[in-house]
Amino acid sequence: MTTTQLMSDPTKTVELGRPRPRLPRVLWYAVLVVFILGGGIAFYFRMTQGLAVTNLTTTTPWGAWVAFYIFFVGLSAGAFLLSSLVYVFGMYQFERIGRAALLSAIVSMGVALAFIGVDLGRIERSALPMVYFHWSSPLSWEVRFYIIYIILLSVELAIAVRLHKGLSRSAVRAHQWLRILGTIGIPLAIFGVHGGTGTIFAVLKARGMWFGGLFPVIFIVSAMVSGTALLAVIYYAQNRGSGRRPDAGLMKGLATVLAGVLCVDLGLMFYEFVVPLLAFQPHDGDVIRVITLGPMWWSFWIIQLLLGMLIPVALLLSSRLRAKPGVVAAAAALVVIGIVGVRFNIVVPPLIPGVIEGLPAGYYVPTLVEWALSFGLIAGGAAAYSLAAELMPIHDNPDEPLPIQNAPDQDTTREAKAPELIKETSA
Amino acid sequence: MGFGAESSAGPQWGMVIDLAKCVGCDSCTVACKVENRTPPGVSYNVVLEEEVGTFPNVRHVNIPRPCMQCEQPPCVSVCPVSATYKREDGIVVIDADRCIGCRYCIAACPYGARSFDFGDSYQDEMQGANAVTAPDYGKAHGVRDDRSSPIGTVRKCTFCAHRLKRGEEPACVETCIGDARYFGDIADPQSLVSLLNASPRAFHLKEELGTRPRVTYLR
Repeated sequence: MTTTQLMSDPTKTVELGRPRPRLPRVLWYAVLVVFILGGGIAFYFRMTQGLAVTNLTTTTPWGAWVAFYIFFVGLSAGAFLLSSLVYVFGMYQFERIGRAALLSAIVSMGVALAFIGVDLGRIERSALPMVYFHWSSPLSWEVRFYIIYIILLSVELAIAVRLHKGLSRSAVRAHQWLRILGTIGIPLAIFGVHGGTGTIFAVLKARGMWFGGLFPVIFIVSAMVSGTALLAVIYYAQNRGSGRRPDAGLMKGLATVLAGVLCVDLGLMFYEFVVPLLAFQPHDGDVIRVITLGPMWWSFWIIQLLLGMLIPVALLLSSRLRAKPGVVAAAAALVVIGIVGVRFNIVVPPLIPGVIEGLPAGYYVPTLVEWALSFGLIAGGAAAYSLAAELMPIHDNPDEPLPIQNAPDQDTTREAKAPELIKETSA
Repeated sequence: MGFGAESSAGPQWGMVIDLAKCVGCDSCTVACKVENRTPPGVSYNVVLEEEVGTFPNVRHVNIPRPCMQCEQPPCVSVCPVSATYKREDGIVVIDADRCIGCRYCIAACPYGARSFDFGDSYQDEMQGANAVTAPDYGKAHGVRDDRSSPIGTVRKCTFCAHRLKRGEEPACVETCIGDARYFGDIADPQSLVSLLNASPRAFHLKEELGTRPRVTYLR
C-alpha cells in the first residue's frame, strides 16, 4: 500500500530528457522499413497465390508461420509474467522494465495474431472463430483468450503509463488496479494464452512428441525464458542506443531469473526426451530421430541446445559474468535466437514422418516468401514497439531515481532493499 | 463389437475392405480422383503399400485407405469453427464455406485422410479441368478458380455422399476389380457389412487411439 503512494511522488515524474536523435536510431528505422517493404511484397504474393507460395504440404501442413506464431505468443506471455513481478508481486527492482514488459507483451501478441492470420488458407474468414465457437477445440478457446488478454494488457499499460506521468487522480487506486489486472492476467497468461497454445499441440494424439500433459508446462516455462530474455535485450539495447548506461543491478536481476527458468526448461526438456525414448514409443522415437539426426539436426544441437541453452546457462550461472550487463544482454540475445529454434522444432518435426505406415514422409524448408513475410512481420512489430516507446514513457532513464527510493516507511519489506542492491552493484 | 449407431433412425454408413482380395491395383484411387475431381496433391483415397519381412521371405501388403469416418473423429473435435462435423449418417464432412484453412484437423487426423487444397489445377494438362467440380459435401462449387472455395480449405473423403444420395455406392467400392470393398448400413444387423464386421478377421487401423473407425479391414 505504501509503495503505491510513493509512485505518486512528484519526484519520480522527472522529465525523461529525450535522448538526442542519433544516427543509430535513424538507421534502426531505416532497417525496419526495408524489412517491412520486403514483407509487403511477400504479402502481395501470399494474397494473390494463396498458400501455394509456401513449401507447406498436406504431410507437413504447418511451418515457419506457425512456429513464429507460437514464438511470439511465448514472448508475450513471458514478458507479461515478468511485468507481474513488478505490479503483482511488488519486486520493484524490476520496475524500470515494467511498462516495457507490458508493451512488448501487447506487441508480441499482435505479431503472433498476424502470423496465424497470414497462415490461414482463407484469410478473409479469420474472424469466423469469434462467430462460431467449438468447446472441444483448444484453438477456439485460444482466439478468445488472446483478445481478452490484449484488452486487459492495454488497460494495464494505460494505467501504468498514466501513473508514471503523474496523471492518475489517485495513485493508490491506480496501483490497486494494476495489481488487480495483473492478478487476473497471471492465470490468463499461463492457462489461457500460453499453456493453452501448448494444449493446441498437446491434444493431438496422432503425432509423436506433442501428445501429453507435460507439453503445455514446457510451453509456459519456455515462455518465461523467452520473455525474460527479450526484456533484457530490449532494456540493454534501448539504453545503449540512446547513449545511456544500463542499470547493472536490473540486468543482474534479469540474469538471475533467466538462469533459473533456463535450468527448469533444460530439466523439462530432459524428461520430454528421456521418457518416450525409454518407453520405446514408436511415434515419438521417429520424431526424436528427425529432430536430432534429420536434415535440420543443427537447428536442435547448435541453435536450440548449444547457443540457446548451454552457453547462456554457463554465462548466467557465473556471478562474475552475470554482473556485466553486456554479457547478460549477449546471453539473452542467444536465448531469444535459440527459442526460435525451439519453436521450429516443436512445430515441424512431428509433421515430418508419415502419419501411418506407407504414407510418404514430409520435407519442409520455408520458401523465400515465407522468410520475407516473417521478417516483415517481425520488423513491423519492432517498429510498432519503437514508435509506441517514442510516444509514451515506456523506458526509464537510469539516472532517474526509482520511486521506491523515496520510500519513507517501506524499508521493512524485502522489496525496499532492492534499490540498495542496485546501487551497490552499479557502483 | 458394437458400432455406435446411436442417434438417427436412418442408415449408418460403413465400409469393409477385404485385404485378402485387394491386389493393389490403385483403381480405387483413380476412380476417387475422377469422381471427386480432386486437384493435384489431393487424394481422398490412397493405397498404402508395405513390404513386410526380409528377402526372400517377403510379403506385400496393400492397405487401401479412404477416410475412416471415425465414431470419435479427432479432426472434428479440434476444428475451431465447427466447419467439419459428423452427419447423422455418420459421415464426417466439411463445410467448405466455413473452413478457415487453419489445417488443425490435418495435424489431428491419425490416418492422413485430410488434404489441403493449395489451389493447384490440372487445367494445363487437360482443357476444361476447372469447368466442373464435384458436389463435395453436397454443395456444387461450380467452376474452380483462384478465389472460391474449396481452394484454401481442407478436403476429405465423404464416402461419395453425393452418390449415396442418388442411391449409388461410393466410386471406390463400385470400381474395385477384386470386389474387395463392401459398403452398407452398419445399423442393420443383417447387412453384409454388419456380418463382416463380426468376422474374426476384422480389425481397424490404430484401434489403440479409440477413434472407432467405420472402415473395417479383414486381414
